[in-house]
Amino acid sequence: MPLSTQSQADDEQYVLVASLDNARNLSNILKAITFKDHAIFSATPNGLKVTVEESKCLQANAFIQAEIFQEYTIQEDLVGFQVNLTVLLDCLNIFGGSTVPGVSTALRMCYKGYGYPLTLFLEEGGVVTVCKINTQEPEEPIDFEFCSTNVTNKVILQSESLKEAFSELDMTSEVLQITMSPNQPYFRLSTFGNSGNAHYDYPKDSDMMELFKCNTTQTNRYKMSLLKPSTKALALSCKVSVRTDSRGILSLQYMVRNDDGQICFVEYYCCPDQEGEEE
Amino acid sequence: MICVLEGNGVKVFGKAVHALSRIGETLWLDPGVKGLALRSVNAAHSAYGCFLFSPLFFHTFSLAPASGRRGEAPQCELLTKSLLPLFRCLTSIERNVERCRISIGDRSDQVEIQFFCRHGITKTHSLRFQESEALQAVFASHLCPNVLKAPARLLSDMVLHFPVSQEEITLSTTHLKVGLRNYSEGGNDRRKMMCTQMFLHPDEFDSLQIGVDSDITFCLKELRGFLSFAESHFLQVSIRFGAAGKPVCFSVEDMVLEATVVLATLIDSDSWDSSQLNVADAPPTARCADAAELPVDLHNADSSNAADMTEWVASSQGSPTMHPPSLMQLLPQIYEPDTLHAPDKACDRASATPASTTICSLLFRALSSELDDGGCTSRLPVLACYSDMEEDMEDLSKIPSP
Repeated sequence: MPLSTQSQADDEQYVLVASLDNARNLSNILKAITFKDHAIFSATPNGLKVTVEESKCLQANAFIQAEIFQEYTIQEDLVGFQVNLTVLLDCLNIFGGSTVPGVSTALRMCYKGYGYPLTLFLEEGGVVTVCKINTQEPEEPIDFEFCSTNVTNKVILQSESLKEAFSELDMTSEVLQITMSPNQPYFRLSTFGNSGNAHYDYPKDSDMMELFKCNTTQTNRYKMSLLKPSTKALALSCKVSVRTDSRGILSLQYMVRNDDGQICFVEYYCCPDQEGEEE
Repeated sequence: MICVLEGNGVKVFGKAVHALSRIGETLWLDPGVKGLALRSVNAAHSAYGCFLFSPLFFHTFSLAPASGRRGEAPQCELLTKSLLPLFRCLTSIERNVERCRISIGDRSDQVEIQFFCRHGITKTHSLRFQESEALQAVFASHLCPNVLKAPARLLSDMVLHFPVSQEEITLSTTHLKVGLRNYSEGGNDRRKMMCTQMFLHPDEFDSLQIGVDSDITFCLKELRGFLSFAESHFLQVSIRFGAAGKPVCFSVEDMVLEATVVLATLIDSDSWDSSQLNVADAPPTARCADAAELPVDLHNADSSNAADMTEWVASSQGSPTMHPPSLMQLLPQIYEPDTLHAPDKACDRASATPASTTICSLLFRALSSELDDGGCTSRLPVLACYSDMEEDMEDLSKIPSP
């Protein structure tokens, strides 16, 4: 494997080296947050976090723990840079994303530090491609100050039950309203579109409901355009946790299993739409 | 009205919505004693579809007015694009939906459609509707000289040979054979397109009764949804038609539902002759005579509707008489017989310009539960009753009967 014959000396010049036998383990999860071109990469000894933000009210994060990588070496406590996510995904799929079993693209991602491009070594079937992607000064990701102590309502659902609802959501509705309550309707998604309204109700005793902890009745509206991209993350996931805090900020956490059965997480934070009338 | 569908019934209902979505942009939900009818008409008034689900189709069916409503359940005009998404994915409906409840009248302007799914999940959709009289194509199929009956599968296999983009096809029938070929307007394109033609022996059909050799051309696109529905239920399709210019009616039925599609057919300019405008063969009726005169008058009367007028076809012979008792409706009556008063006939109306080959539009009659004075001429049954047309109709009713 050509990638592994790189000398040790070369490696020392990089502040971050991360290798994967199957680049899909990274590209698939990044697709779940690709709704904007630019992403902030934050690497720590724990792993890689990729952040995409929209209009200061939506943030999506993908976490790939260090254990997922076949090789993960980091020389500093925090390595941060910004790259064009679309370009990165194009490079990761440069061999065309074949689905032939046993054939996968191997990846070695290297970064020398501030001012240097992100270097990708990609190999499939003996053919090696080197991609160098320009990096930018990383922006500071928004801190939504969402902490578990402030969480008022939380449910964990099996993704299967939500996937259909999200794919059917009336896109003529400007908002998606989420109601969580210890009483009926327990957990409700509502849309208000051109033809009329729709409500999707999930009772607390449904066998799709893995956890139901709702203390107060809360109804919040979120812009549909902001939440629609989360459908990609939902499609990849097997479970999703939905939490709101006292301010109405929504946290969606998706548990994603990659090709090798390892678990990664994707999360979305979304601010509520301006105060409107409750349904 | 409240009705509940269970299990497979939801999928069947959804398939009917799919079939009607191929026809028109609006759909009527029309509840009545005979059941729930879904109807659709296309913009050109050259295609009409109706699915009537009898009360037996439903797990429960009740016409009782919901609280707050006066009288009977309204006829609801919905946009197809509002209703279709609810039934878009039939496989997932089959997998997930246990029951579907449709109720009209809880709120004055909304239909509520609730899906009770697996795992206790409930989906509730409230769709806004407009209360309006449903249109019903009036066509006396018993007067059609030609009747063809075949399993839907055979018809589907026949149309399979035509590309999906094929708009119109021509069905030619004689005692000896049945032919199907594609149709294109204008000779210039013939060299550029692929022409498909097939012939079947009468034995291929369950029954073939040809009174008049004919060549009828109709729109295939609007029929495909219906054929797909019929095929999935293994139903026999009856095709009733006559000479070119008269509508063709496709129908299926089983114990709990009836479905019909009525399509207008092209009048070929070559076969245009004055006898089409002659009402001598049928007992002369004031109505027919009126209709024969209508296109001319209408054309002059209201220039703003000129575009519509050119589609109308002068009445042709062989139409049902004007006497209500002798009139039989092709389509099931939804209303009590005594409320159905207006004499109806299906007159194909040809353009007043004989040189052109034109699609004939069907004649429509609004279903109305209001009792008129019972007179035949009190309202014009032959015209599609959109409210903005009513003024024209009032003008026309003043045309003296011969």
